[in-house]
Amino acid sequence: MRKQYAEAELNMTPMIDVVFQLIIFFVTTADLQAKSLETAVRMAMAPHGPVEEVKDPRTVVVDVDRDGRISIMKTEINERQLLAVLVKARNVSGQSTPVVIRGDDAAKHEAIKRVMDVCGKAGLWKLRFAALKEKAS
Amino acid sequence: MARERKRPEVTDPVLSMTPMIDVVFQLLIYFIVTTKPIDVITNLDVFRPAPDPNAPKDQKPPNLVRLGIYPDGYTVNDNPVTLDSLDAALGKVASIDAGQTIMITVSAASEHGRLVKALDLCAKNGLKSLSVVSASN
Repeated sequence: MRKQYAEAELNMTPMIDVVFQLIIFFVTTADLQAKSLETAVRMAMAPHGPVEEVKDPRTVVVDVDRDGRISIMKTEINERQLLAVLVKARNVSGQSTPVVIRGDDAAKHEAIKRVMDVCGKAGLWKLRFAALKEKAS
Repeated sequence: MARERKRPEVTDPVLSMTPMIDVVFQLLIYFIVTTKPIDVITNLDVFRPAPDPNAPKDQKPPNLVRLGIYPDGYTVNDNPVTLDSLDAALGKVASIDAGQTIMITVSAASEHGRLVKALDLCAKNGLKSLSVVSASN
């Protein structure tokens, strides 16, 4: 008598487990990246502004909140520290390093000016202001 | 008399799709619920002229459109304008020469949102050569 073949059954469970793990991994890492740029700064609307397709990886993003406090990557810093950061950025990645200022809609220009002056002192002249092109509903 | 051979019965492997579809459906619902739309960010380029210590104090370069931003309004070449007429004026400037330098003077007390609004109008009209100067008062 021939050996009876076991029923060829494809067990999907491990595959789904692995796929699920992968999805969770990518979702959490993507979320972390988005969170690092998330702030309480409410930017002004600029519906006609150009959309940047390729982001310069050297970009330094400086946040200025409505009370004029300066921060980078959610870390509040003073002007002296900002100068040190920008000087280092210039030394590492050159004078054309772009600085993006994310100013709050209600921030006074005085605070923005302070950041711009520090950029000038650090020798960085490529300044841009971030604004909201489209607000997510 | 031929010997009757008993063939083993091989059942067709049946892949049950139901649990997989269940899982995929759960995943789909999870992602639809947890995904939140991201704001579209735009970067408005400006050029910040280096202060020239040798330049005479109140020298006005002839071929510049001067745009003033104050806490209570805008001025073009020292004439007060509304946001709509500013748009029209910038459109007119751009139709003559899109490479025209716009010198934007911002008073320290005005809100950052006003500057962004003005830069947005410049971007709308295709004006690229923008220099931002901070007024001391």
